[in-house]
Amino acid sequence: RPLVGGGGAWENRAPLQTSRPFNIAHRGSNGELPEETAAAYARAIDEGADFIEADIEATKDGHLVCFHDTTLDGTTDVADHPEFAGRRRTLEVQWANVTGYFVTDFTLVELKTLRAKQRWDFRDKSHNGVSPIITFDEFIDVALNAKRVVGIYPEMKNPVFMNKHVQWADGKKYEDKFIATLKKYGYGGKYMSPAWRARPVFVQSFAPTSLVRAAGLTDSPLVFLVDDVTVRTEDTNQPYDEITSGEHLDYMKRYVVGIGPWKDTVVPPTKDNRLATPSDLVAMAHARGLQVHPYTYRNENKFLHFDFRQDPYAEYDYWINDVGIDGLFTDFPASLRRFQEWTAKNKD
Amino acid sequence: RPLFPLPSKTKNEEKKPIQTFRPYNIAHRGSNGEIPEETAAAYMRAIEEGADFIESDILASKDGALICFHDVTLDDTTDVAKRKEFANRRRTYEVEWFNVTGWFVVDFTLEELKTLRVKQRYSFRDQQYNGMFSIITFEEFISIALDADRTVGIYPEIKDPVFINKHVKWADGKKFEDKFVDTLLKYGYKGQYMSENWLKQPLFIQSFAPTSIVHVSDFIDSPKVFLIDDISVRTQDTNQSYWEITSDDYLAYISKYVVGLGPWKDTIVPASGNYLMPPSDLVARAHAHNLQVHPYTYRNENQFLHFNFFQDPYNEYDFWINTVGVDGLFTDFTGTLHRYQELTSPHRKDETANSLLVKISQMISAYEGL
Repeated sequence: RPLVGGGGAWENRAPLQTSRPFNIAHRGSNGELPEETAAAYARAIDEGADFIEADIEATKDGHLVCFHDTTLDGTTDVADHPEFAGRRRTLEVQWANVTGYFVTDFTLVELKTLRAKQRWDFRDKSHNGVSPIITFDEFIDVALNAKRVVGIYPEMKNPVFMNKHVQWADGKKYEDKFIATLKKYGYGGKYMSPAWRARPVFVQSFAPTSLVRAAGLTDSPLVFLVDDVTVRTEDTNQPYDEITSGEHLDYMKRYVVGIGPWKDTVVPPTKDNRLATPSDLVAMAHARGLQVHPYTYRNENKFLHFDFRQDPYAEYDYWINDVGIDGLFTDFPASLRRFQEWTAKNKD
Repeated sequence: RPLFPLPSKTKNEEKKPIQTFRPYNIAHRGSNGEIPEETAAAYMRAIEEGADFIESDILASKDGALICFHDVTLDDTTDVAKRKEFANRRRTYEVEWFNVTGWFVVDFTLEELKTLRVKQRYSFRDQQYNGMFSIITFEEFISIALDADRTVGIYPEIKDPVFINKHVKWADGKKFEDKFVDTLLKYGYKGQYMSENWLKQPLFIQSFAPTSIVHVSDFIDSPKVFLIDDISVRTQDTNQSYWEITSDDYLAYISKYVVGLGPWKDTIVPASGNYLMPPSDLVARAHAHNLQVHPYTYRNENQFLHFNFFQDPYNEYDFWINTVGVDGLFTDFTGTLHRYQELTSPHRKDETANSLLVKISQMISAYEGL
């Protein structure tokens, strides 16, 4: 049963909360159900997520689908389909050779025959083999059909790879198709504008040139994702230190409303799994009026630093109250929701 | 202990009393999710984190001293295996009808045990305190509770009494249970459950052995709790099965001696394929006999949580406190249970006029949409 929200006509839906950090369901409630499926997103909405997050990639025939990896191996049953056995190959992804069944080698009809499965061993597998991959349109429908206003947080995923392997007849690029889909469903408007509040959206990407291109196509708010300190941007080949420098943040703030860093770069861990001294990234971002939405918060103890005493709520408490972030990508939106609800009551 | 109160301890009358309005937060072996179990540091951390009771397993050393230690062997939670001087002490004994090989507590004097250092049992927990702390005695454990700046109860277990009585002899012919009670009486523990004396020095005595509980009932009127193991385990002293000791007839009998039961939680609500099955009626039947239910052991890590709880330990607490309705919880993570209870059922005196207004406005806002 839903933890939040109730009935009411569409125009009278409960609004998005904007008084506390955003609860962003990372790939839906994928701590419970296979990631990026309609069921995972519906569950996240029931559990109180403010935004549902998806990674958008393209099929061989140019459809946009919600899928996180470039290969189907880790989270689908593709290996169990003998008809696709010949599709396994090796391609270069972000300067590294990757072998597997690539999304871009399958048509939408073929992808729809696959079924999603839980990525991690230690999570509930009872829904493996049940849910299909969904399209970007279907993802948007899940949000628009919710009983309250729920935002979407789609990612332009691996745009260099997509543009290299998928061609659209009208000469458009992956980013163009992405933004066109959003516009088709009425998404637009600057951050916190009435149009945005009616259909909240953040467009995210690790690729700064994709964000700059998107900024030319839409006025919806954009978020610049920042990977680990060892990873260079896939399009401009810039290192972590450069893209988090004051100069680069000054440049990016013309296009984005926030950054989405990997949390262990904001507050790095020590080698024995404790927190080291926080970086100044949050302060630098906030000084420029940029929000900070780190990823990814997970309940399991293997993902928690020992300072949090195996308690996921202690982690939320630290990041919201001590570090002071503006949104959190979580695999467990119900836990974050519960934490925020309970602590809000106690603040008086 | 000093014969006279130290200046810092003369304020006992002003100690914040133990809470009795919500289920008890029982720090299982101290805050052993963070610090090696049954050490002074683990108990002090538990007190800092809000535990109502600190729980300990009492065993005896070769020379008859009572210590806080969970296993009959030292292998898993101490550095005994690295100590060359004790290499030849490794032996095999029968423990509850099984042969167990290791370094047995009963083969070491207190002085020797004090040279060992405790380590974290589980590899996925913080190892940074390994090798820092010693095994403590029952008296040291009691002192930790009595020296706390608020009223903290103790929850000691008469551990493996059949084994201890077989391998340890006291000169005065007393048994392990007698020594256990003598120690409690020496530190002033007395009084029936919820009596004035009990509220000053709260205590539950626990054991898996019904004859030990019956035995100590003649010597101390403090409340006792009958621990119940998994359904496949028979009592070590009377060789009774789970089904017998949880029958209505037996509950009627044991309720003359105990104020509650301490069952393994997965016997109250069994699980299959890591999903909860329908609850048993044990809690209802215990409550019908006016017995409390204090299940063990709640742990935060996802490998200990059933899938119904979505990897969230707060979900588990919510289920057990609000749906099952237990009266106390043995937890390795006292801080988490305390946070949960403070968030969901805070001390009433924390209420202010403003918090009441917030509650009223929340009630009203639930109807604003209609």
